[in-house]
Amino acid sequence: MKKRNIPKPSLIKLSIVKKLHKWLSLLVFIQLLIWLGTGLFFNLMDHDKARGNQNKKAIIVKEVEHKRLLNLDFIMNKNSKPVTEVALIQRLGKPYYLLTHEKGLYSHFKSDYSLVDAYVGDEFIIDDDVASKLAQASYMGIGEVSAVLKVKPPIKDMLKERNIAWQVNFSDSLNTSVYIDASSGRLIGHSNDDKRFVDLFFMLHFMDYAFLGKGSVGGFNNGQIIFFALLTLLFCLTGLIWTLELLIKGRYKIR
Amino acid sequence: MLFVGVQLLVWSITGAYMVVMDIHYIHGDSLVATKKKTIDFDDVKYSLRQLMEDHSAAADVELSLLLNQTVYRFNNGDQKVMLSAYDGRQISPIDEKLAISIAQNLYTNNKAVVTRVQLITDNPPRELSRRHLPAWRIDFDDFASPSFYISANSGQLVTKRHSYWRIFDWMFAFHVMDYIDEEADNKLLLVFTFFAFIASICGLVLTYFRLMPQKNKRNRPLDDKLDKGIANEKA
Repeated sequence: MKKRNIPKPSLIKLSIVKKLHKWLSLLVFIQLLIWLGTGLFFNLMDHDKARGNQNKKAIIVKEVEHKRLLNLDFIMNKNSKPVTEVALIQRLGKPYYLLTHEKGLYSHFKSDYSLVDAYVGDEFIIDDDVASKLAQASYMGIGEVSAVLKVKPPIKDMLKERNIAWQVNFSDSLNTSVYIDASSGRLIGHSNDDKRFVDLFFMLHFMDYAFLGKGSVGGFNNGQIIFFALLTLLFCLTGLIWTLELLIKGRYKIR
Repeated sequence: MLFVGVQLLVWSITGAYMVVMDIHYIHGDSLVATKKKTIDFDDVKYSLRQLMEDHSAAADVELSLLLNQTVYRFNNGDQKVMLSAYDGRQISPIDEKLAISIAQNLYTNNKAVVTRVQLITDNPPRELSRRHLPAWRIDFDDFASPSFYISANSGQLVTKRHSYWRIFDWMFAFHVMDYIDEEADNKLLLVFTFFAFIASICGLVLTYFRLMPQKNKRNRPLDDKLDKGIANEKA
């Protein structure tokens, strides 16, 4: 099919399309196989295990003695920071006022809280001991607490979290870690080796590689994936044109 | 290639769209104005203790702001209730006028005109979770036709959507080949991923042979010799 003699003004030169397709295949094949391989994994994986909540249990809520609740203005007189919200919550079966000083659109966004004992009025600080108890209250595995560490974002297990947290590690077969927000005492979540394994696949699928001094961010809006996604799009489009050409030429035959 | 090619193209188009569009923009985070109003505790005349006495089933009680007034929000069974913190009067469910002012107050473009208001109590659209019902839908006449969903019981913004989110949602559905629940563990996806994997390996083999001419050249003298040998033997 050499038509070099006829100067036909065509929009797309097939020879260029084919050449482009061949060279693009060389550029994208590794990542394309990673995408398909990890995609296959997401399809087949155990979605319950992937959440990392095998050892998580619901926190028990106790009855609040209404008559003992302190008035809010009494609490406010002691607190100097401006408050945008007050919530009556429980920590370890006791009621506390959770004062919000700063809060983002979502709970993992930057925030600033303080806790006040709703019966006594004392400030409640989430230290390593309290964090450990809070973590144990949400844990139903057989492991013991092996370490309590204060971690700053980025937190490898919880890449989206933007607040300082307590990491409470348990000595079980899954190496469960429980994360507690350091200012509010809120349970951020559980993680374990099963979830970490899945996270690795997400990192590969999203090309969320630590790259040029930038660490993983737990998202898919990075420069390298945009570059490769566009290359792959071009690769598929040139492939489509080639396939259409083969179809027209009658090269797909069912024998 | 004929079999999986179309899906590979769909994956690359939807994938490219999803990585190029910033996820925070897709979530509509940039449409929400940050409000830094603090509670004035002189406005709180109805105490929390009083509230607990009047509503003994109240759980997850919260004192916060609704526009300029201080309010209590709590759960009564599976229903959210909102009371004025000034006199304990029940505010929820909110009416259309209040829902519009809440939405306008939270939307970054305060000049945007509201085009449509609708109270949704049943059959939520694809973009709204059932757990947020009942909710007011407020549509703005602005870029990418944004909609704010205000919970009728809590008066809070529960969901924000715009055209690019709607496109993203369909892109994701086509990416995981589940057009209703958008779960990645369906059989259709498994079959296509499996065959696409095989097709890619075949393609890799083709790339190897097409782009490795040196190897053929290196072998050519050997092949020629072999051919000659065969020819000689025959003779």
